[in-house]
Amino acid sequence: MALRGRKVAIGVLFSASGPYAAIGAEGLAGTILAIDEINASGQHDFVLEAQVRDPQGATENYAALAADIVATSGARHIIGCTTSWSRKEVIPLLEKSNTMLWYPCPYEGFEAHEQVIYLGACPNQHVLPLLEFALPRFGADGYLVGSNYIWGWETSRIARDAMEAAGGRVAGERYVPLGDVDVDRIIEEIRLKRPSFILNTLIGPSSYAFLKAYAELGRADSSFQAALRPVLSCNFSEPELAQVGAAAEGQIAVSPYFQNLATEENQQFLGVVARLAPETEHVSAFFAQAYAAVHLLAAGLSATGTDDTKTVLGAVAGRAVSAPFGPMEIERSNNHAVLTPRIARATSAGFEIVADQCVAIRPDPYLAHVATRSAPHASHLRVVK
Amino acid sequence: MTRPAYTPNFDGKKALILHRPHPVVDAITRQLAQLGIFCDTCWPTISASAAGSADLIFFDVDLGHDEQFPWEHGQAPLPAIALIGSEAPGRLAWAISLGADAHLLKPVGSGGVFTALVIASESFARRAAMHSELDALRARLEQREAIAEATACLMLQGNMPAEAAYAQLRREAMTARLTIEAMAEQIVDELRAGHVHHRS
Repeated sequence: MALRGRKVAIGVLFSASGPYAAIGAEGLAGTILAIDEINASGQHDFVLEAQVRDPQGATENYAALAADIVATSGARHIIGCTTSWSRKEVIPLLEKSNTMLWYPCPYEGFEAHEQVIYLGACPNQHVLPLLEFALPRFGADGYLVGSNYIWGWETSRIARDAMEAAGGRVAGERYVPLGDVDVDRIIEEIRLKRPSFILNTLIGPSSYAFLKAYAELGRADSSFQAALRPVLSCNFSEPELAQVGAAAEGQIAVSPYFQNLATEENQQFLGVVARLAPETEHVSAFFAQAYAAVHLLAAGLSATGTDDTKTVLGAVAGRAVSAPFGPMEIERSNNHAVLTPRIARATSAGFEIVADQCVAIRPDPYLAHVATRSAPHASHLRVVK
Repeated sequence: MTRPAYTPNFDGKKALILHRPHPVVDAITRQLAQLGIFCDTCWPTISASAAGSADLIFFDVDLGHDEQFPWEHGQAPLPAIALIGSEAPGRLAWAISLGADAHLLKPVGSGGVFTALVIASESFARRAAMHSELDALRARLEQREAIAEATACLMLQGNMPAEAAYAQLRREAMTARLTIEAMAEQIVDELRAGHVHHRS
């Protein structure tokens, strides 16, 4: 059906309440901002209509709410999901109803579904570049701490391969139940084992509690200060940094997008944020990637005049487009985004970018073309500060 | 505690898909490409060159039959993944008898190939290790007769009890850097050939 003059329903499925509301709200805000911007611009001959549902962070709500979006609005495209569990929950519905999910978050890889477009980083774009930066600087005997969940398990497993290939060994590995903030025993073990660094894949409140307790340890024993033994994260973003505050200072994160990214695309994007959502305090990769997803979808709808998923995918995949984090492209073979990882240090003024490869990395969700077991090639990261 | 698994890697491997042209083949080919695996499609028979260069095989269970395979029934020399549409017991029995290491249910969508490959490779490695251990055990069993015979010969020759004769056999095997079975066969062969030995 032609779209001219129509309202095109777009599903929006983020948990703006519940245990990971801080991150869910970012995806929601980025999506709504892009929809508002596109509708206000009048650049297309259709109007996007957000169909917002809030699963409240409960995995079992996702499939039912996605089904509700499709049944009541006829939406063919859903922007949403934060955790891998929730994404896996909605996939059967996507298959049955021929709906596309635009997933804007980093995840642990080992999936490439034809009806999901992955705009966040996969492991060869997050944990591997992060370790490539950290191992030569801090040593290869890292300590792995994560939430007891697939993201932590799998990211740590990949990190272990990379550390051992570099001649290091795992100083310790601990998992914390989701939402748990009791990290004292882990901090004590780190104090005794003195690892080169800590790779943190904790989620939400567990991560904040850990960062605060580790800062405490650094005050008691200066050899645990961030400059010597940093905490490395693949999922630590601006609103979370604001919540943890000074305790996170000096710790290191990797992401394709940071609010302080000094590019023209980002200045333009932040200008749109300031104009249309002036109440916004922080902008994260989750926000920017959801925003980029809506723009890419709108470009696909406009180019093809239909919201049929295969047609839209055919039009958007394999073409470089401009996004807040720079040029982006959806790789045709696996529906994942080509992204440029950046390494940043947490400061009181947000994330300060310390290394930017300035090289876009093609997504390799199954790590098929990355030798995680042989020695990693020499770091060619360009230190800009 | 055992070490967590390494990331399985199939980059540069070659797969053979024994299936008539069908969307299932396209779906598998797409997934294989993401893993860096090249693939050849064959139907209804496997050419000798394709069989020789392949690292793994996907085979159709719905229309498959024994004559398609250039190897002995149940002895696939590479990891074999069954492509199953009909779950009829007769077809499943055939897939099992052929020695499937893993399976994929049709229709094939966006996932499943990686899992099947990881399980099939592991299961094939175990199958191969078990077969070579079995061959070695069989060979040793056959050689037990030679040990008994050689021990008896040494007993007669040296006029010594069985324990001493066996100890001598073991010593000679060690000196010659042979297995005890191989040493026993050598002694028996020499005696059969009529050589006279004075063993110290």
